[in-house]
Amino acid sequence: MKTPAPSLTAPTTREQSIRHLPAPARAAFEQFQAGGDPAALDPVVLAILADFSPRRSAVPLAELPGATKLIDDLGFDSLAITEVVFAAEDLFRISITNEEIVQVRTLDDLRGFIQIKVADRRVA
Amino acid sequence: MPPLPVITGLGFVTSIGHDRATVGRSLRELSHGFERVEFFGNPNLPVKVAGTIKGFDFPTPNWRDWRWPDQFKVDRELLRGLAPHGVYALCALQQAIAEAGLDPAELADGTTGLFCASAGSPFMLGSFLAQMHETRGERGNPMGLVSSIAGTLNFSLAAHYRITGAVCGFVSACASSSHALGYAMDEIRLGRQQRMLVVGAEDMTAETIMSFSSLRALSNNPDPATASRPFDRRRDGFVGTGGAVALVVEDAALARRRGAHIYAELIGWGQAGDGHSVTASHPEGAGLREAMRRTLADARSNATDVGYVNAHATSTVAGDRSESLALHAIFTTQGAKPRVSSTKALTGHGLSLAGVMEAAFCALAIDEGFIPGAAHLEEPDPVCAGLDLPRASLAEAPGLVLNNSSGFGGSNVCHLLRRPA
Repeated sequence: MKTPAPSLTAPTTREQSIRHLPAPARAAFEQFQAGGDPAALDPVVLAILADFSPRRSAVPLAELPGATKLIDDLGFDSLAITEVVFAAEDLFRISITNEEIVQVRTLDDLRGFIQIKVADRRVA
Repeated sequence: MPPLPVITGLGFVTSIGHDRATVGRSLRELSHGFERVEFFGNPNLPVKVAGTIKGFDFPTPNWRDWRWPDQFKVDRELLRGLAPHGVYALCALQQAIAEAGLDPAELADGTTGLFCASAGSPFMLGSFLAQMHETRGERGNPMGLVSSIAGTLNFSLAAHYRITGAVCGFVSACASSSHALGYAMDEIRLGRQQRMLVVGAEDMTAETIMSFSSLRALSNNPDPATASRPFDRRRDGFVGTGGAVALVVEDAALARRRGAHIYAELIGWGQAGDGHSVTASHPEGAGLREAMRRTLADARSNATDVGYVNAHATSTVAGDRSESLALHAIFTTQGAKPRVSSTKALTGHGLSLAGVMEAAFCALAIDEGFIPGAAHLEEPDPVCAGLDLPRASLAEAPGLVLNNSSGFGGSNVCHLLRRPA
């Protein structure tokens, strides 16, 4: 048995951050990277959310109502939401404060929030 | 009658098997759990052998890359806060709870406590701190702390099983899980809890094992068949291992009311410090000798009642010698000659895990009526002359069984086990 030399740092490059996401989400991310198409963000955000979801949702997240609550309906705890936010920060090069994190309660909150942050980033 | 702690559930994730039947067979047949390994991908390292945990794989600190055998169920929700040894521990605890015939929901009513032991996860902590350094403190995995520091086991398992009784972690290096078991016995004997879950675990990673190479404590023998040979004249250090073992310990009266199978009674324990060195054992095993004496006194038993000693002996030159001298002082001088073996010859040294792993082996030996042999022993160290070190496992009921453990700083802990009345 070989015990490989593990990477001693958690994934920090974008390639490493998205390598666990399904292929359509990775393709959407490439599309967003290439053209800054904000519509391409949604599948990426939902894929990150699914990746950290404590339960496998029977219904794909994209088909759930926007008002679906992350904690009450999807079983997230506050730390898992923080992990989603951190992953989004790394991937989209945005910055979200603790005060802003607690405002994120539903799927639409998360989507809208990241859209605004990314737009701000492009203006800035 | 005061409460008597008994073992009613055993769970194993070890180098010699992941279930009771396989572990029992490995102990009887003296099948070791060692494989050649290449730590850090570096073929130049002198350490070539480890007690590998088959079917589990933790190639990176990212939980998405982790794998475990199909027979175990690990919730994604829980996985995010675990170290590799937390995964082992969960799999071992699932077995122990099922074996004891308990529904996990029964554990949440406050009558059950949880004592755990591990050294934490250098693998996870290294990754967490590297990320913090790299981002100059701006980023950190939110679960980085709870998945890595000493205590990670009790944090995760207590929350998962909704334990509302006593919850604590024990840190005394290679005596840690022996302390956890001893104090768990006390919780029951003092009537504070009716049932205790006791879990010991360690990562099987380069970070955990190779740290002991810096101390020159590891064997450089490249042959898996002989690298771990406690009490042998040619021993040259210990072979590292990880894994997890879980015990369900409960009051005998409760166990009998439930109709639970009792593997063994825990009739005494004791501890004593060497007061000597941070790393080395006392040259004459003074602390271990006193811990054995206190354990026998706690159980109101005599040295001549003991039929088997599961020695701490890790296969280091100095440690095995000290323990031999301590055994002579307790047994040989009293005309007692219990069978003695160190099952680390088969498993490797599980560090914080060792004490509870070997207590579980003692319970199996009592339950199944055998004594594990002193594997890989060919040329006993002359200091062992007069000790009964059987070369093969024996199909005989062991009588009282003594389990020895010693850790850094000269912490020595022993337990005495008995066949249920």
